[in-house]
Amino acid sequence: MLVQDDLLAPEVVRDPYTYFARLRQLDPVHWNERWGGWLVTRYDDIVRAFRDPARLSSDRMAHFQQELSPHDRERLHVLIRYFSRWLVFTDPPYHTRVRMLVNKAFTPTSVERLRPRVRAIVSELQDHVAHRGHMEFIRDFAFHLPVIVISEYLGVPPQDREAVKEWSDETSRIFFIRADDPQRRERSQAGLVKLLEYFEPLIHARRRHPRDDLISALVQAEERGDLLSHDELLATCTVLLFAGHETTTNLLANGLLALLRHRDQWERLARDPSLAASATEELLRYDGPVKATFRWARVDAELGGRTVRAGDRMLLVLASANRDPERFPHPDRVDITRNPNPHVAFGHGIHVCLGAPMARLEGQEAFAALAQRFPGMRLATDELEYHPTIVSRALAELPLEW
Amino acid sequence: MARRLRIRVDYHRCVGSSICVLTAPGVFALNDRGQSAVIDPAGDGVEKILEAAEGCPTLAITVEDEDSGERLFP
Ligand code: SF4
Repeated sequence: MLVQDDLLAPEVVRDPYTYFARLRQLDPVHWNERWGGWLVTRYDDIVRAFRDPARLSSDRMAHFQQELSPHDRERLHVLIRYFSRWLVFTDPPYHTRVRMLVNKAFTPTSVERLRPRVRAIVSELQDHVAHRGHMEFIRDFAFHLPVIVISEYLGVPPQDREAVKEWSDETSRIFFIRADDPQRRERSQAGLVKLLEYFEPLIHARRRHPRDDLISALVQAEERGDLLSHDELLATCTVLLFAGHETTTNLLANGLLALLRHRDQWERLARDPSLAASATEELLRYDGPVKATFRWARVDAELGGRTVRAGDRMLLVLASANRDPERFPHPDRVDITRNPNPHVAFGHGIHVCLGAPMARLEGQEAFAALAQRFPGMRLATDELEYHPTIVSRALAELPLEW
Repeated sequence: MARRLRIRVDYHRCVGSSICVLTAPGVFALNDRGQSAVIDPAGDGVEKILEAAEGCPTLAITVEDEDSGERLFP
């Protein structure tokens, strides 16, 4: 064995970059026996894979269902029914139709209108902790900002935010929590059912009385040409809410940690907040929230000199592409002025993250405001722990003081 | 006479989402590197072209009026 094959080994979870750098050098398209799939670690191979949706499928539910017994398929039928309509898990033509419908709401121009509101929320969150001199960044800040922003945008009233967040976290168990939680599928479905029950009446209310929010816009898209079916509408509401949560929390936490560990960059941003946009790109590249995404080969395909067989699964390791020295000079250095910065933290191709403009906006506003308001901020401990998952890069806690 | 447009795609930004190709298929097509290329700046009306530029998730497309030099997007 070239490298150890346990993707959840503590040292790999703590520092995936060293591990994947070794793979990238030794065997860039690597068959991992234990995981049962290919690990793709070079930038060029990953981008090529992203640009080939005709041969590499994103239909996670098709493969998930095959692994289930008929009994389990029956038990998890709600989860299967709605997850198989989530944009991230679908292929064209379904993906194309729904994505074109939803895209308008998430273009840089439409999201830019939220900037003053995002700035106000960031400032309020800072006010809550400023007098204390310390905070646990995830619980006190990074957790709240994305929930408030996506809830307001969708049209979820403030009093429902907490409940909705909890259900969304339950739903996420199937993706982000360590595979040895035996209840994770059931809990995930239960969370999803709650979200569906929550959105159902909200959708009906917006149908009768449209407002200036995303649910109303989606409902109207549905009515205009019967473009979104009711199931698709429900699935889309849940995925937008879900996707806006945990990933952005991790972007904020990982990004802030990187800045605090590269003090000169932190100070530079504090002095010059106009660097917020390029800083956010660099933090996404250096230690982004999503380590990897899945694809399944539809047909035999060649990738990086290897033959991938129809039905094989692969992990496109974004965290590795973004540190590939063939693409990024001094990839392990944080340079908040890096330009160009064609990182793939949001993926690439037709599945490129729909929420990217919103995540960027939140990152820009948060990083710049924190550096300005708390120039003396530092880590309260060096003992940091990451949740053991293959796809996400998620700190358990980030204690800070100033 | 129809407005003549200068349409540019920034290759450092284009992530091959295909949104522009689907919105204005007469103007944009993916090249063999999986990025957007302008095949005919007059292939669709100005409205479709602006919709494509606005729909681009990375603001990779800029549109100018060829004659007046006026920036139409972004
Ligand atoms: S919409 Fe933008 S990112 Fe997508 S293919 Fe066109 S130019 Fe590239």
